[in-house]
Amino acid sequence: MSIATTFGLNLLQLAFVVGLAPLFSGIAGRWRENIQGKRGPSIWQPYRDLRKLFAKEDRRSESATWIARFAPYAVCLSPMLVTLLIPVLTDFPLFGAFAGDMLAAGFILGIGGFFLTLAAVDTGVPYGAMGASRTRMVGFLAEPVLIVILFAVSFVANSTIPYIVQQQWVHPPAHFFSPAHVLVLVAFFMLIIAETGRLPVDNPLGHFELAMIEESRVLDFSGRSFALLKWGSAMKMVVLAVVFVNVLFAPWGLATTPVLQALAQAIIAVFIKIVVLLAVLVVVETSFSKLRLFRIAEYLGGAFVVAVTAMIAAVLSP
Amino acid sequence: MILFVAVLLPVLAALWCAFPRSERGAPVVTASFIAASFLLTIWIAACTAARGQVVAVGDWVQVDAFAVVLMLAIATVSFGAAVYSTGYIAHLNPPPQRVRLYYANFSLFIVSMLAISVCVEPGLAWIAVELTTLLSVLLVSFADTPEALEAAWKYMVITLLGATVAVLGVLVLFWAQHAAGGTTFTYAGLAADAHRMNPVLVSAAFALLLIGFGAKIGLFPMHTWLPDAHSQAPAPVCAILSGVETSAVLYVLIRLAATFRAIPAVHADLWFAIFGAASLVAAALLIVQTHDLKRLFAFSTVEHMGIMLLAASITTAAGGIGLVWQMLSHALAKSLCFFAAGGVALVAGTTEIAKLRGLQARAPLVGTMLLIGALAIAGAPPFAVFLSELAIALAAVYAGHVWIAVVLLLFVGIAFAGMMGKVTSVVLGREDVHREIGRLPRSTAVVLVCAAVPVLVLGFWIPGGLAHLFSTAATEMVAP
Amino acid sequence: MNAQAFIPEINALICGFFVLSAFAMVVVRQIGACLGVFIAQSLLLALSAFVLGASPFSWHLYAVGIVTLLSKVIVIPWLLRRFVPGEIYTLREISQSIDVPTALLIALALALVGFVLGTRLVTAAPLLATQNVIVGLASLLIGALVLAVRREAVPQMLGILAMENAAFLAGIAIAPDFPLIAELAIAFDVPLLAFIVAILTRAVYRRVGSTAVGELAALREHPQ
Repeated sequence: MSIATTFGLNLLQLAFVVGLAPLFSGIAGRWRENIQGKRGPSIWQPYRDLRKLFAKEDRRSESATWIARFAPYAVCLSPMLVTLLIPVLTDFPLFGAFAGDMLAAGFILGIGGFFLTLAAVDTGVPYGAMGASRTRMVGFLAEPVLIVILFAVSFVANSTIPYIVQQQWVHPPAHFFSPAHVLVLVAFFMLIIAETGRLPVDNPLGHFELAMIEESRVLDFSGRSFALLKWGSAMKMVVLAVVFVNVLFAPWGLATTPVLQALAQAIIAVFIKIVVLLAVLVVVETSFSKLRLFRIAEYLGGAFVVAVTAMIAAVLSP
Repeated sequence: MILFVAVLLPVLAALWCAFPRSERGAPVVTASFIAASFLLTIWIAACTAARGQVVAVGDWVQVDAFAVVLMLAIATVSFGAAVYSTGYIAHLNPPPQRVRLYYANFSLFIVSMLAISVCVEPGLAWIAVELTTLLSVLLVSFADTPEALEAAWKYMVITLLGATVAVLGVLVLFWAQHAAGGTTFTYAGLAADAHRMNPVLVSAAFALLLIGFGAKIGLFPMHTWLPDAHSQAPAPVCAILSGVETSAVLYVLIRLAATFRAIPAVHADLWFAIFGAASLVAAALLIVQTHDLKRLFAFSTVEHMGIMLLAASITTAAGGIGLVWQMLSHALAKSLCFFAAGGVALVAGTTEIAKLRGLQARAPLVGTMLLIGALAIAGAPPFAVFLSELAIALAAVYAGHVWIAVVLLLFVGIAFAGMMGKVTSVVLGREDVHREIGRLPRSTAVVLVCAAVPVLVLGFWIPGGLAHLFSTAATEMVAP
Repeated sequence: MNAQAFIPEINALICGFFVLSAFAMVVVRQIGACLGVFIAQSLLLALSAFVLGASPFSWHLYAVGIVTLLSKVIVIPWLLRRFVPGEIYTLREISQSIDVPTALLIALALALVGFVLGTRLVTAAPLLATQNVIVGLASLLIGALVLAVRREAVPQMLGILAMENAAFLAGIAIAPDFPLIAELAIAFDVPLLAFIVAILTRAVYRRVGSTAVGELAALREHPQ
């Protein structure tokens, strides 16, 4: 397989994530409303929003520095970089596969969050600073969970490269049911909820500034910056979902050869898998109420315990 | 067959109490069924002394000398407590519903304890131990005061926790035996297969069983529930709980000791000695600072469990004799103490030491018996406990464990001083004229006097049959 | 790939969920939810017995499973609902002796201890299912923690029953043909236990006004 092919496939993966991210967030948004008994917006609404926002003027507060200008690009770029490292459509390693492992992916996603946090403080809005500090609190608590999950993964796979890890849980297929695997899944699912600011940790649809965590950081952005932030967070969601479904949960349906038909099938399969995950997330989201801020520590503590148990199970399993 | 009859007779009394409006006859029916059970036990003891063992279902339900001594202790104390209850409970005048509940529970509780002594299969013995807890919880909470409920709750939670740990110990023991190819899961069968078992598994089983049953025995530091439960229950129930229930659980542990001893890596005797000494020391120091008569005697139970465990750690036949003897004499003396303390509660309305003065002048019978009971349990001559404790100390010296004898004598001495200081102030102190003094019900008074007889007699003379049972039991323990 | 190969893995999965349920017992605050966790845990125990009993086929394990289902999933919840005043179940327990994150960390440490001790045990002799013993020991210790942390009567009792579940989870693996006791014990002891606890809880509720048994502390050496 030539480098050109793998590089091209990498770009295809990138296109998949970048192009479909707004669609996934539109689907989730619509279903959330449907479950609550409302009709909900069209699933194409995020694309319309983005188009509208790109056309609008990008206003920024006078005290803001280059950080506020740069942050939206960082937020948008970091999931795109991660996309190069993970198996989105193929189960054979691509051009960027060995450029970084899952820990690197976590850190790259963290860079986006880091700049967004700085930018939120930078704009000078009190809500931004408040949101920044809260996000850091959630982040601090979520980080050890991610690290321990990676420990557990590496104990099983002897590697943290996503392309290698994805093969380990299903060979032989009985391994799929091993307690370490199931516990890692539970912990990672809880982590996705916390990282993407969904209920019960945060309410992405909330309009009450005092209760916001993630959303209050982007209150002072408009126009193109805001569009990039929205797109970036949608991509982050998709990237995490891809890691969950393709690396950890169900590494089936990926293209095994670089032919067109296999790729087309893979695109459909991955799309369906992510949509199913979104459905579960939406159900979880609509069936829980938001935790009080200080209960988030307990929630992530629970995730941590699950992750550590997974690690112990991985180490001790004969 | 006779074993089943002796153990299960009181169930009939419980059934009788299940009928509506049976509360008037309940005391007499319960007492007479338990009396029948007591008489049968004496007969079984005689048979065992003659033939070595009585078998109902081989490898499941049978008694040998050690078991029959325990059974004798249980039956004697239960019989006394049942008769004592007739007057005591009537004097408290509870609602009829509670009377029936009390007697039904009481009978079943005694069945569960007798069952411990006749089961030679550790699993069955565990069930019996668990049942003793479950069936006595409602007896402890009989007074229905917040304090009694608290005591009952603590008692239940800690002992059930122990039982849960112990069941895992029993299962691990079963596993160890089966992995070693053994099939007869009885005390004797385990001891026979012990040397082939995996040391890690036996160590684990030992730890689980020592902690699990230790909680129920009231070993330090798992004794915290014991003074509460043993002081809040009605006096006859206290007598059984303190006098024989704890010993019965200790019996199961000691029965399994031969298995643990077969594997030197387990250090069973060392752990017995450590827990025994710790319980003895802690209880002796706690006795000095109690403020309540019944709690005083309850701590004395912790002390005596420590002494028995120390005796169990001496692996000679002399130590075995001391242990069995101590078990019986403690049962008799401790029940006398609680009968007397119950008498104090009836005539003076309280058991708080600070509020009681000069009992001797106002209620001479109760005062005298309290003094005799305290002297007997504290180990003064010429009572049975004195001789058995002396036997243990001597056995320790002869076996080369001088430190056991030193610890034993030192802390028994401290406990003696602490206990006598309190009891003499209650009995002999300056008369408290303001206190209302009630009358003792006749049955209670009779039991009180009769309970003192064996304590005194066994201090001078041990019947030949009983001595034979003691020495047989000791050899069974050393070489099963 | 035949079904045989999946049996150890599925049993391991059940054990994984079992240890999760033990942690959940530490975390959940609502008493009703605590009961729910217990029921789920008992279901897992029964499932494990069924899975292990499937191959090689063992009537003993099936009996354990069925009796567990009957007594712990049906009878005990019914008894507790029937005899303990209903308003307790919607109560949130806020008076725990240590806060939840700390309790979780302690539970984690205990689980580690249990796992390590368990692995030492399972290497000692051949065994039907090693995870059962490891998870059982860990859950036993966590159950003891529940007992120490909780102050309400019903959760304390559920802590004991959870410990019993843990002991039997280990038991079905180490002693699958244990004579009589497992069936008898689960069938009679446990409902009797629940019955007595329910009666006692009701008495406490009537006399004291709440079921926070951990707050009862009248009995001690030197009363104020």
